[in-house]
Amino acid sequence: MKNQNFEIISVAEDTGGVKDAGKWIEAGKVEYTTLIDKEHLITKLYNMVNVPTAVWINEKGRIVRPNEVGYSSNAGINITKVDTTNYINGLYDWVKLGEKSIYAMSETELRERLTPQNPEWAMAAAEFSLAQYFHLGGNPQAAIPHYKEAQRLNPENWNFKRQAWMLTSADKEYGTSFTKEVQKLNGKPYYVPLKLPEVKK
Amino acid sequence: MKHRMYALLIGLSLSISSQAAETKRAVVVYDDKATEVKASLAPSNKPEDLWISLADLKASTGFENKPQGVCRAELCFPLPKKRRAEFLKPEGKTSWFNLTEFARLVKQPVARDAELSTWYFGLRSEVQNTFTANFMAPEFTLPDKDGKMHSLKDFRGKKVLIVTWASW
Repeated sequence: MKNQNFEIISVAEDTGGVKDAGKWIEAGKVEYTTLIDKEHLITKLYNMVNVPTAVWINEKGRIVRPNEVGYSSNAGINITKVDTTNYINGLYDWVKLGEKSIYAMSETELRERLTPQNPEWAMAAAEFSLAQYFHLGGNPQAAIPHYKEAQRLNPENWNFKRQAWMLTSADKEYGTSFTKEVQKLNGKPYYVPLKLPEVKK
Repeated sequence: MKHRMYALLIGLSLSISSQAAETKRAVVVYDDKATEVKASLAPSNKPEDLWISLADLKASTGFENKPQGVCRAELCFPLPKKRRAEFLKPEGKTSWFNLTEFARLVKQPVARDAELSTWYFGLRSEVQNTFTANFMAPEFTLPDKDGKMHSLKDFRGKKVLIVTWASW
């Protein structure tokens, strides 16, 4: 895919450090860039709620497919319940065909998928950022009430929860843990299921 | 960077103003940059409001009060004429500016820590929501692991897949 002018930008939404998203290389010998996003700027700018989240962007900088769960393989399918086969096929199809690909979203589809952020979610992002500021500035205790406020205002954002729980003892400070919260979903999928056009053979 | 922020926090905890009784130190975090400012404590000010001098406004946010509005480079937000007093308050030689009211005007979320007198100003609505109308991918600049900066716009002319990850 390298010859087709396609690049991957992998972004680590990580207050602490970076873990490579190396598996995407398997999707083709592509140029790829790994960036570190300590402030979770991409989460905030693109209204993301989870990782891995992927966005397709065309040559002009326009969104082709917005936020979707972006696993590069089915290695973890038993846990994630996300079958990515069609998504990866779609990616190849779009890289080859561009806007003619059936996987490139129409304006109507984009309009349905991209909605302005509601004020509570915007506030949640600000609270999360204030917490990050305290945590990174060496005052993790001051950060906790603001992480909690962010989680209360936007309970759907797993990034805001998991990052906060990881930085301290989740059970002690938040009275919960990732495992417990996933159990609470009670069979509801953790990721929003992928909705893709049928594969044409 | 880390050390500077830490120093600011220590400064804050010691900061019950020793100068004029009517101001206190506060920290403004704007565009993820922290600046120590002096906040007016005039009795008429609500505790959730932050009044700072025009000099501090420029230092902490880059915005300046101009005849056409509150501006930074080409970006200008006119103040509603009838509500000017809600944004600007002269006191002696100082002109106080209500940064929180300005945030409400430009639809910018503000998170506050009263105890540490710290105010975080989030993404303004036009930054946050424009892409939902014009579908242009929001622009960003971030470092790689060697500290080299990369911007999305560097990738124009290529198809791009952005994928987020995390170690947690």
